[in-house]
Amino acid sequence: MKKWIGKSENLAAYLFLAPFLIIYALFMVYPIIRGFFISFHTYQVGVEPIFTGLENYKTMIEDAYFWEALGNTLYFVVISTPVLIAIGLLMALLVNSKLKGTTFVRATFFLPFILSISVMASVWVFIFQPYTGLLTSILLSIGVEQDIFWLTDDVLAWMAILVATVWWTVGFNMILFLAGLQEIPREQYEAAEIDGAGPFRTFISITLPSLKSIIVLIVILQTINSFKLFGQPYLMTGGGPGTSTRPLVQYIYEKGFIEQQMGVASSMSYVLFFITIIFAFLQFKFFSRRNEEDK
Amino acid sequence: MKNKKKKSSFGRKLLYIFAFFCVMLWLTPVLWMFLTSFTPRGGAVTVLSELFSPPFSLKNFEYVLTNSLIWRWTFNSFLVATITTILTVILTSLAAFALSKLKFKGRNVVFWVIIAGLMVPVEAMIIPLFQVMIDLNLLNTYGALILPNLALPLGVFILKQFYDGVPNELMEAARIDGASLLRIYWNIFLPLSKSSMAALGIFTFILSWNDFLWPFLAVNNESMFTLPVAIPTFQSAYSSELMIPMAANVLASVPALIVFVLFQRHIIQGVAMTGIK
Repeated sequence: MKKWIGKSENLAAYLFLAPFLIIYALFMVYPIIRGFFISFHTYQVGVEPIFTGLENYKTMIEDAYFWEALGNTLYFVVISTPVLIAIGLLMALLVNSKLKGTTFVRATFFLPFILSISVMASVWVFIFQPYTGLLTSILLSIGVEQDIFWLTDDVLAWMAILVATVWWTVGFNMILFLAGLQEIPREQYEAAEIDGAGPFRTFISITLPSLKSIIVLIVILQTINSFKLFGQPYLMTGGGPGTSTRPLVQYIYEKGFIEQQMGVASSMSYVLFFITIIFAFLQFKFFSRRNEEDK
Repeated sequence: MKNKKKKSSFGRKLLYIFAFFCVMLWLTPVLWMFLTSFTPRGGAVTVLSELFSPPFSLKNFEYVLTNSLIWRWTFNSFLVATITTILTVILTSLAAFALSKLKFKGRNVVFWVIIAGLMVPVEAMIIPLFQVMIDLNLLNTYGALILPNLALPLGVFILKQFYDGVPNELMEAARIDGASLLRIYWNIFLPLSKSSMAALGIFTFILSWNDFLWPFLAVNNESMFTLPVAIPTFQSAYSSELMIPMAANVLASVPALIVFVLFQRHIIQGVAMTGIK
């Protein structure tokens, strides 16, 4: 009897899992293997693939544009992560304080996150547009008459991308921080107040240490996201001026779909894949450690 | 004591001013988008004060609605996002139920294979995924836009965690009463997980509604565009008349804004839940 139940439960479980697993195998597992295969071949749509061993990886390593694109992505990771964490935390502190209307403020900060990247980019392109852009108008109204070409200067273009990204995504980090802040027991703050600690002191010795694990989580999540950078530069600067804001994902897209060198593009994908896997793995470690702590 | 109170109320005033300043900073781009979209073509958008003064008109919206395929694109976005959301919730909750409450051979292997999927960015898979779509003859179809997004490992992870918290006794009791597994899933677990599934659903809808890179690659026929793919075409075609692209932006954002206003609380709770708990 027991054995019979066991068998039917096996079958039932697989029936429950089947719809998910079929889609998952076809559009997730298989493409990963396929991509690995492609990266060892000369590969074009409609042409029989030719095995070329590590040739694509060699081409990739010798390609200065690949290193530039990887460098650009890294640069974005380095400049965006601290800013997105600091501002996210500041916002969370603000909406966690006992002010009136914090629900509204919280919603306002989160609002841009639901706008599509295309809408977001389009709005910011027109903000940064020379002569007629919003920023130019604001600068004019406070007496700055010089026209600044935000999106066509390589330093300023990165600033523009960063500002747009912060505006668009920082609300997400704020919510994570807020969830963390609300887990800090109130008694700790009351104790600090009795000891006569000022707000700054309380922040340094109670708030920050309690948020340590959430800061780690946000650093990892943010790094993964920043490595996947594509839409902001693609839509705002086209990767320019020249190739100075072209990130790795955009170069993979151009190599694979415009130059039709799918093999080389696949080997670059594996570099991206490898980098994100490291950070995703750290993130997973972090998750499982926290879950065990909860139990 | 009195002094301290005074000081703190001064601090509070400063905080309010700071908060107001931040809110203005965050709202300005959205407000500007709206104001510009209501400014008649040829009107001035470079002088700030004129943005707030009439005449306002709906002509830009009328123009966008009649001179582009925006109805079709909105329909595509709605269809894709709705089907993706419904199917994702069904597929992930069925899988999560099996992984959480059923004992079967290979359970750990299946679980780890799905969890490993959490680590795979679509951005690194665009080339082989594109090849798969060519093989299946799905490029430029709704299938290409929907299918790759259904198997969402994060959804399985979240719902499994929820089901893990449901006591096993509940399940045993139902079994003793002779209920089939499908019945147990349908009558007990689905109603219990309504709020988790709603959060996952809202999330999936917004992600799908705003998805850019994959639809950008998977469809190149204008009538199959989703809104995020179509919006940049306005930007390049009307770069000197920004009221037209702004009207398109507003039209493309309104559905997401409505979802946001209606479900704001759930969305924000949903983020916190997936991030930490």
